Amino acid sequence: MLRPGLVVLSMVVFPLAEPASTENPLRVTTDSSAYCLELASRFAGQPGATAEPVRSLAEEGQRLCENGHVRTGIAKLRRALRASQQAGG
Amino acid sequence: MRILLVEDDAEVARFVRKGLMEAGHTVEHAVNGRDGLFMAASEQFDVLVLDRMLPGGVDGVRLVETLRGQGNRTPVLFLSALNAVDERVKGLKAGGDDYLTKPFAFAELLARVEALGRRPAAEVPTTRLKVADLELDLLSRTVTRGGKKIDVQPREFRLLEHLMRHAGQVVTRTMLLEKVWDYHFDPQTNVIDVHVSRLRHKLDKGFEKPLIHTVRNAGYMIRAD
Amino acid sequence: MVLWWNTAGALDRQVEAAIRADATALQERRRAGDIAALVAAVEDRLAVDVQNEALYLLLTAEGRRLAGNLSTWPTEANAESPWIRIPLQRDGAVSEARLLRVDLGDGHRLLVGRDVAEKLRLRGLLSEGIAWAASASAALAVLGAWLLRRALENRLRPIYRTAAAIGTGDLTRRVPLSERGDEFDKLGATMNAMLDRIAQLMEGVRGVSDAIAHDLRTPIARARAKLEEALVSAQDEEALRAAVEQGIADLDGIARVFKAVLRIAEVEAGARRAAFAPIDLAPVLTDMAELYGASAEAQDQHLEAELDETLPLVGDRDLLAQAVVNLLDNALKFTPEGGTVRLAAHRLDDVLEIAVADDGPGMPPADRQRAGERFFRADSARTTPGSGLGLSLVRAVATLHGGEVALSDTHPGAERPGLTVTLRLPAS
Repeated sequence: MLRPGLVVLSMVVFPLAEPASTENPLRVTTDSSAYCLELASRFAGQPGATAEPVRSLAEEGQRLCENGHVRTGIAKLRRALRASQQAGG
Repeated sequence: MRILLVEDDAEVARFVRKGLMEAGHTVEHAVNGRDGLFMAASEQFDVLVLDRMLPGGVDGVRLVETLRGQGNRTPVLFLSALNAVDERVKGLKAGGDDYLTKPFAFAELLARVEALGRRPAAEVPTTRLKVADLELDLLSRTVTRGGKKIDVQPREFRLLEHLMRHAGQVVTRTMLLEKVWDYHFDPQTNVIDVHVSRLRHKLDKGFEKPLIHTVRNAGYMIRAD
Repeated sequence: MVLWWNTAGALDRQVEAAIRADATALQERRRAGDIAALVAAVEDRLAVDVQNEALYLLLTAEGRRLAGNLSTWPTEANAESPWIRIPLQRDGAVSEARLLRVDLGDGHRLLVGRDVAEKLRLRGLLSEGIAWAASASAALAVLGAWLLRRALENRLRPIYRTAAAIGTGDLTRRVPLSERGDEFDKLGATMNAMLDRIAQLMEGVRGVSDAIAHDLRTPIARARAKLEEALVSAQDEEALRAAVEQGIADLDGIARVFKAVLRIAEVEAGARRAAFAPIDLAPVLTDMAELYGASAEAQDQHLEAELDETLPLVGDRDLLAQAVVNLLDNALKFTPEGGTVRLAAHRLDDVLEIAVADDGPGMPPADRQRAGERFFRADSARTTPGSGLGLSLVRAVATLHGGEVALSDTHPGAERPGLTVTLRLPAS
């Protein structure tokens, strides 16, 4: 009696296991501390860069980048950037 | 008369055959429906006496249907152990002329066979029936004996008519109930006797010679002597 | 499955729509300004991509990288279809990229895409959820079916058991009924009613065999004794002949009783309906009154008939005639000389009432209950000839026609109350 359940399960799981070619792996170049610095300088150039709370958000992002948490840092910096842009109009 | 008996029970066949032959008839006997059909179709008989249930694939009803289909009108009397009314109706519908349930009294069988074999020709319309000095006028519906008018009731007239149409033959009580009253059941008591004796009383009163005779263990007969 | 398909498909479509919108916007930007504006736009977009999903790659015709965050131009992107799905290396983990090749028309090459790892995870979660839900509901269905089946089996078990017991010959068993009055109880009650009817019929058959054993054995024994005695001690042929004749008469009587028993059985089984036809009972009753009138007169009795002009009904003419004859026969048998038997038949709305009344000794109420049972003869009638089958046939005929038989006093309270048998039949 469990057979229909198994069929449903396998059909649901199958699309997740789609294989793809990996001969020349594609990488993302923006997950780096270099990009972190680029974002930081970009932020510094924003008109509302000194306003709170975005300033401390960007600082936190930079610190995270320096401590090796690149992706979280980048995320904070991007959020700060977006917030400053929205505030600036 | 020449009679064909189709009956598979040897004892019944022997008894019927002997009785009919003693009554002065010629009897041919077949033990199954196929032989019976062959004989009935190829020879001339006055009456066929058929058992309703027969071995050999052709039962009584089929036999009669086949004969009637060939235009053979020989009168047929069915014998049957089947009491059911449906069976009687089926037999008569198939072209049978009469139906008798086993066990039966031989007198009853003989009376019915003779009545069938000597049926008045339907083509000749009769207006007067005569037995000795008794006369029945079917048009004016009057009865006279020795020129003297006798008053009878309508039912008595029909009773007398039936007896006179079969003058010289035995007519049983059951036959009278069937033909004169048109009911098919066992009268059980002597109701028919009472009617016959009343009619007899009217006819024979003042005359020396009785006309309606009682046939012991069988029924009645009207005859001249 | 449908749910899964819809949701997963929606996720895919959502990603594709976002990519397409992004690509269109970038194409607009390129059309409005120079390539530097496009580079700035791509960089701006990447700078504010909080979800960290956006993927771009802008190359010059020579393959020089102008903007974007993809390491290389994948060879798959040169395929005919602009849409590509490709694995993406990210922090050592493998993710998946959905990319759209955008034709800028000036030799520059642009890829716009999204990292769909997050969507895939969501889809996986969803699939798992659905799989669990499906499995759980399948398990529930199985459990439910099993429970229902067990409940059905429990409710039907007494019925099986009863049927099995009946099948092995124990006709006294009945289906036990619960208080619930549900469909199973209805089934059980119907079965019980059927079994009661069968038991009643069996009782009837047993009654017939008992009665045959009792009432036919006596005349058979008597006939046999007479024949044997004649064989041993007949003085001459005349005496022997008389004894044989008597024997034949006795046998005829026995055959007649047999025939009556069979006919009653036939009527009770309802097998006689074939001969049913619309008839007028009035002339039939007139015939019967005339048929029996002569006998009555011969015994110095009076038979009076009081009939409606027409008495229409649907029935078997011969059977009805036989029933009336049985009643008249009985009535005349018990009416003394000079007495009167009255045959009356009237139509009362939808019912035909046919009553045969006599001046006889009547029947005590206790006997009336049993009158109509086969071979039952009231003690007072033991001395009168008869098989005791007359009224059973009348009753059977009445039942066959959907009617009934009632017995009552002709003169209530009189010393000789007489008996009136009333047949009530549905008129047509």
